[in-house]
Amino acid sequence: MTQIDIALKVLDHQILDRDGRRCGNVDDLEIEGGPGETARVTAILVGPGVWPQRAGWIGRIASFVGGGRRVRVPWGEVREVESHVILRKSAEELGLGRGDDRLRPWIEKIPGAHR
Amino acid sequence: MRTLSSLQQRKVVTESGDSLGRLYDLRGELTAQTLTVTGLVTGKRGLLEHFGVLPRSTSPIPWGDVVRIERKRIVVRDR
Amino acid sequence: MSKIFGVALGILAAIGGFVDIGDLVFNISAGATFGYQLMWVLPIGVIGIIVYSEMCGRVAAVSKKAVFDTVRERVGFSAGLGALIASEVVNLMTLAAELGGVAISLQLLCGLPYRWLLVLAVLGFAIVIWVMSFEWIERVFGYGGLCLLVFAVAAMKLSPDWGKLGNGFVPHVAQNNSLLYLYFVVGLLGAAMTPYEVYFYSSGGVEEEWTPKDIGLNRANAIIGYGLGGFFSVALMTTGAALFLGHGISPEHLGTIALGAQVPLGTIGLLLALVGILFAVGGASIDTVFSGAYNLAQFCGWEWGRYRTNANAPRFTLTWIVLLVLGMGIVMTGVDAVVLTEYAVIFSVVALPLTYIPILLVANDEQYMGRHRNGRLANVLGGVYLVVIMVVALSAIPLMILTNVGQN
Repeated sequence: MTQIDIALKVLDHQILDRDGRRCGNVDDLEIEGGPGETARVTAILVGPGVWPQRAGWIGRIASFVGGGRRVRVPWGEVREVESHVILRKSAEELGLGRGDDRLRPWIEKIPGAHR
Repeated sequence: MRTLSSLQQRKVVTESGDSLGRLYDLRGELTAQTLTVTGLVTGKRGLLEHFGVLPRSTSPIPWGDVVRIERKRIVVRDR
Repeated sequence: MSKIFGVALGILAAIGGFVDIGDLVFNISAGATFGYQLMWVLPIGVIGIIVYSEMCGRVAAVSKKAVFDTVRERVGFSAGLGALIASEVVNLMTLAAELGGVAISLQLLCGLPYRWLLVLAVLGFAIVIWVMSFEWIERVFGYGGLCLLVFAVAAMKLSPDWGKLGNGFVPHVAQNNSLLYLYFVVGLLGAAMTPYEVYFYSSGGVEEEWTPKDIGLNRANAIIGYGLGGFFSVALMTTGAALFLGHGISPEHLGTIALGAQVPLGTIGLLLALVGILFAVGGASIDTVFSGAYNLAQFCGWEWGRYRTNANAPRFTLTWIVLLVLGMGIVMTGVDAVVLTEYAVIFSVVALPLTYIPILLVANDEQYMGRHRNGRLANVLGGVYLVVIMVVALSAIPLMILTNVGQN
C-alpha cells in the first residue's frame, strides 16, 4: 500500500502489457465516487479520442488526425505502477495497440520487415 | 463518473469562500487491486511541488473534507 | 580490454557524427565573416550540448525514459503536445537541410543531376535503415565523417594567425556589424546544441537499457565525444577565417565550403572534404529522421525502437518513412540548402527551451532520479545554460529578421 500523486505517477505515463509491449499512454483516468463517498480510480482511458478533453482545440485536431479511437481499461487490469503502468493481460486482449496491429500486415509485405 | 483531467485546474474554495488555489493533483492510495483517492493537492505551492521545484507538501486536503463538486470549482469544509 | 576498444570506437563514431550541415554552414561562414573573433562561442556551445546530453542520458539510465516520455509526463498533455508539434516541425526542417546537403555533396562528387541524386540518396537511406543493424549504421557514417579531419589539416596548412586565433577565444562583441555578429553567436550555439542529437541520444540510452551503473560511461561519452567533436568546429572556423576572410568570399554553397580543403590540399583535399561532408551530413539525416519518429512514438505511447524489428514497431517505422518522404519533398521544391539550414538552426534554437526545461526539472526531481538527481555542479551548469538558452531563444528570430537571415 503506497501513497502516490496520481497525476504525477500515473497520468501520461507509458502503458506496458504483460509482455512488456508498449501499448499507449495513460491519456486520462476515470474516477467514480463523489463527496462523502469513497472515490476510486476505476479505469484508464487510452487513445486519441481522449485527447480533446486534455488539450482543447489542438487536442481535437490531433484526435482527428489520430483516428479518434478510445479504449477503456478497467483499473483491475493494472498489475503495478512503476516507472510505467504495467497491465495483467496482453494488449490484444484489452483492445490496445490496435494501430500497430492493423499496420503490421502491411509492413510485413515488404521484404526484410523482420530485420 | 468523472475524469482526472476534468478535475484538474478547478478552483478549490472553502464553504466560507476562502480560496485554496487550484487543484493540481490528487493524492491516492495504491494497493494491489485498487487506487483510492485520498486527497487533493492544491494551490500555488501544489504547482511548484508538482514540477519538483519545491519539496512535496505532506498535507493535501483529505477527500473526506470535500463538500461539493461543482462544474468550475470544488468546495471543501472550512479549514 | 575489448570494452575500452568498444568505447573508443563509440567515441570515434560520435566525433565523426558530431558535425552536421548546421555546423558546416555556420562555422565556415563565421570564419569567413568575422575571422577568429567568434571562437569563444564554440566552447560555450560544446559545454552546452554536453550538459544537456548528460542530463538526458542520466534521466534515461535512471528512469528508463527518453526525452518525450519525460516531457509529456512532466508538463502534461497540452504543453507536451505543443512541444511535440514545435519539435517535429523543426526536426523536419533540419532533415530537409541535411538531405539537401547530401544531395549537393553527391552532385559535387559525381556531377549527376541534383534531384535524381536526392531521390537516390533518400532511397539509399531508407534501405540502409530498413536492413542494416544500427551499430553498423553508426560506424559507417561515423568513420566516414572522420574524413572531415581534412579540414583540420587544411586549417593548419593555411598558416592561420595563431595569435588572432587564440585571441578569438576571449569573449567579446565586434564593434562593427554587431547585429550580424550576434546573429552568428546565436547560429553557432544553435548549430552546436542541436535538439535532435539529444532526442536520439536519450532514446538510444533507453533502447540499450542503460542502468545507473552506466551513468559514468554516459558522462565520459558525452564529454569526450562532443569535446573532440568541437575541435572540428574550430577547424572549420579556422579554415573559413584563413581562406575566405578578406577575400570577400561568402560560402553560400557547399561547394565553396569544400574549397576550404581543396585550396591548401588539392584534389585529395576536395575529395576527402566531400566524402566527409557526405557521411557526416548523411549520418545526421538518419539521426534526425529517427529523432522525429522517436518523439512522435514516445508522445503517443506507441512501440518504438531501432532494436525492434521493423514489423514490431509498425507506426514508428511508418513515421520515419513518411518523414523521409516529406523531407525529400521540401528539398524538391528547390529551396536553397544553405538558406534552409540557417532557418532550421534558428528555429531549433527557438524550440530548445521547450524540451530543455522539462528535462532540467526531471533531472532535479528526487522521485524520478533518487540519489542520481542533479548535484550542485549539474545544477549550476544547468541553470547557467537555462539562462543562455532562454536569451538565445528569445533573440534568435529578431536577429534573423534584423540581419535578413545573415545577409545584412
